[in-house]
Amino acid sequence: MLSRLFTGYCLIVYAFLLAPIFVVVAASFNAGNFLTFPPQGLSLRWYVVFFENEVFMRAIRTSLWVAALTACISTVIGTAAAIYAVRHAGRMKDTVRVAMLAPLLLPEVLTAIALLFFFYAVGMGTRTMAGMVIGHVVITLPFVFMNVVASLESFDPALDLAARSLGAGRYARFRRIMLPLIKPGVIGGALFAFIISFDTFTISFLLKGIGTSTLPIQLFDYLRTNFTPEAAAVSSVSIAMTIAVVVVIEKVLGLRIHRF
Amino acid sequence: MATGKRRSATLLLIAPAALVLLVFLVIPYVNIVIMSFRPPGEGAPYGVGFTLANYRKFFSDSFYMLQVLNTLWIGFVVTLSCLLIGFPVAWQLARGESRLRPLYYSIVLAPLLVGIVIRSYGWTVLLGNNGVINRTLMGWGVTDGPLPLMYNGLGICIALTHVLLPFMVLPIMSAIQGIDPSLEAAARSLGASRAVAFRRVLLPLARPGIQTGSILVFVLAISAYVTPALIGGLRVKTMAVTVVDALIDTFQWPFGSALALVLSVVGATCVIVFARLTRMRWKVA
Repeated sequence: MLSRLFTGYCLIVYAFLLAPIFVVVAASFNAGNFLTFPPQGLSLRWYVVFFENEVFMRAIRTSLWVAALTACISTVIGTAAAIYAVRHAGRMKDTVRVAMLAPLLLPEVLTAIALLFFFYAVGMGTRTMAGMVIGHVVITLPFVFMNVVASLESFDPALDLAARSLGAGRYARFRRIMLPLIKPGVIGGALFAFIISFDTFTISFLLKGIGTSTLPIQLFDYLRTNFTPEAAAVSSVSIAMTIAVVVVIEKVLGLRIHRF
Repeated sequence: MATGKRRSATLLLIAPAALVLLVFLVIPYVNIVIMSFRPPGEGAPYGVGFTLANYRKFFSDSFYMLQVLNTLWIGFVVTLSCLLIGFPVAWQLARGESRLRPLYYSIVLAPLLVGIVIRSYGWTVLLGNNGVINRTLMGWGVTDGPLPLMYNGLGICIALTHVLLPFMVLPIMSAIQGIDPSLEAAARSLGASRAVAFRRVLLPLARPGIQTGSILVFVLAISAYVTPALIGGLRVKTMAVTVVDALIDTFQWPFGSALALVLSVVGATCVIVFARLTRMRWKVA
């Protein structure tokens, strides 16, 4: 009896977690002009409106570009740092870890403000996309780092030693031994950086240049004045894109994401 | 000689990350502190010289003080509700025997993978005057008019609890997973009731997870921008919303920095007091 009650309680919490996401997806198929419940029939008209809306389409392209650039840069820098932390840092290991996780522990809004001032102070401003990409790299670094560290720690150093005793040079050992073994962590970290960059709002909002609105920014602006189900269609497409990336991570690569 | 060369080669691995964090994190944060002492500028975001005027403006206006208190109160309520809602779920994920556990786990992770703007938007659809909840209640005849669920502190707390729940569940879950189940069994076999075994064995051992989760949720709640901005509208503003408005809409950079720093210091003080009270041992994951 008690365990029944307990399970029921947990199920309610799971429903609570899914409710807003479910509602958004359901609302996107609404045929009416406004977000009303129950929906006035099923229709894909808001998806058509969305796909014909040049503003949103440009925002999606910007988001994808920023996310791709961020993922590439973050992955290279974060992977190198992870290799250093696990293999070479010695007693400094904990210090390196704390430093690498710092962007995660600091409030995103504060980091965004700090970067905004900094870019103005150095005369770079926010005219280009560069500032936004730098901001995204800073906040996604911890995720790449954690994922690669996790796979490095399950990597047996004896393999490296064996290759060395067989005469393999540093580069060959990295290319042929280490990289293939930590590849899941590296790819997982890269995809994770991509998702975070694609979804993040505050840092993009403060660092966006003229005409470089990402999808979350465009959606936020739209929601402040509009109530049509178009926003729901935009959201659903964005959710679908994220799910696609996650499915790639979990099914195709067979990885577990290390978010913490 | 050879080892020295090797060492400098490995330092190249950490150099890019160190450079990024130094230039784009440490220096900008120091810069905020400097900015908060700048005078407001004419036609520019800030002027030259230094002044205490920004802090004086904050401490002399009870409007901002009340807003800080209100923000902390929201942070407190959200943390507490995340803990109460999240603990049983964390336990179920760590110890449950259901075959559906992987599914439950992905349900807890799912909100993290959906953008914050979308999740907050979902809550406006649910909580609005014409939203799902009010429509349903009115349809059933439970209430005559719409309940005020949005544009107030309640709506912000509900939505933030949802947004931040995974940050509470995941650390507690991993803490419980690290506890040997036989300890509870031992307590039970020694005659402890379920309640006593929970209070005297499970809860103390799960404490590090509870502490980590609470601090994460509290810090994220008081610094959240999107959710309060969308759910609170123009009527209820938290500190983070006021700070961003001061920077983006009115270009009061020095004053905005001072506000942000006051909130950070107050938030950090709360975290330290909490850690002291619960005798937290700082450990790096």
